[in-house]
Amino acid sequence: MSSSSAALRDLQLDLENKANDLSKLQKGKPNRTLVLFIHYLLSKVSIEKQFCYFFPPDIAKNHQVRKKYTIQLGENELVLKELDLLKEDANVYKLIGPVLVKQDLAEANANVRKRIEYISAELYILKVQQRIQSLQAGKAKA
Amino acid sequence: MASSRGGGSQQVIRTGDMEKMSLDQLKAVKEQADIEVNLLQDSLNNIRAATGRLENASAALHDLSLRPQGKKMLVPLTASLYVPGTLDDADKVLVDIGTGYFVEKTMAEGKDYCERKINLLKSNFDQLIEVASKKKTLADEAGLILQAKLKQSSPSS
Repeated sequence: MSSSSAALRDLQLDLENKANDLSKLQKGKPNRTLVLFIHYLLSKVSIEKQFCYFFPPDIAKNHQVRKKYTIQLGENELVLKELDLLKEDANVYKLIGPVLVKQDLAEANANVRKRIEYISAELYILKVQQRIQSLQAGKAKA
Repeated sequence: MASSRGGGSQQVIRTGDMEKMSLDQLKAVKEQADIEVNLLQDSLNNIRAATGRLENASAALHDLSLRPQGKKMLVPLTASLYVPGTLDDADKVLVDIGTGYFVEKTMAEGKDYCERKINLLKSNFDQLIEVASKKKTLADEAGLILQAKLKQSSPSS
């Protein structure tokens, strides 16, 4: 147990160094939000999640996923706009497989809102990943 | 020169800058611009197709609203199989608003929905076409300068 916690500590240190490196790289044009965000990550998020941030998959993949999520976000926002325009007693149906199931307007509204929330959060993570990636790429070149 | 800041962090490249670039740089700029032009062209085509679909839907709705209740019709089950049916209620329509949600609307609301979507697409289309034409002129300019440079660098031919 103690050995694993020691390994964990090592990992944490590693990540902290990484974060410091990144904030040093930012010296040219400091970006407070990014630095603050990194420190927030270090204090709040689990080790596994932190790894996702600092050792993200490659840039092309990130771009692809980001594109997908952006499209989904746009679509969901359109749906939400449409749902907001409806009257209280409007009949809303959800397509589940081949059947249409009647759904409460409030429930549908909540669902779409939740989705938008999730997708935005995911997009934010991807954006931060991309920033980190481009910083790392810049460092590798230098 | 007021250049719009939209469209990401792309630096604005002017003709003056391009004159000073090396051949390789110029080639890269030209390729990049061509790719972007193609991408924008694809988007424009998509928007056009979507607008066409919505216009079709709007026309179909209009057509449907003219038919009286109980009207006999043939309903297509497949592309070549039709079964007879009667029109039950032409006033309520189900509209697919995306991501698997359908909303029951009256005929007028349905038409209004189509109109709104078409207008939204049209405004997007207009914005996009502006960006696309700007990119296109950039790509053309890059091509011209590239050719001029190539001629200069090989005067013997």
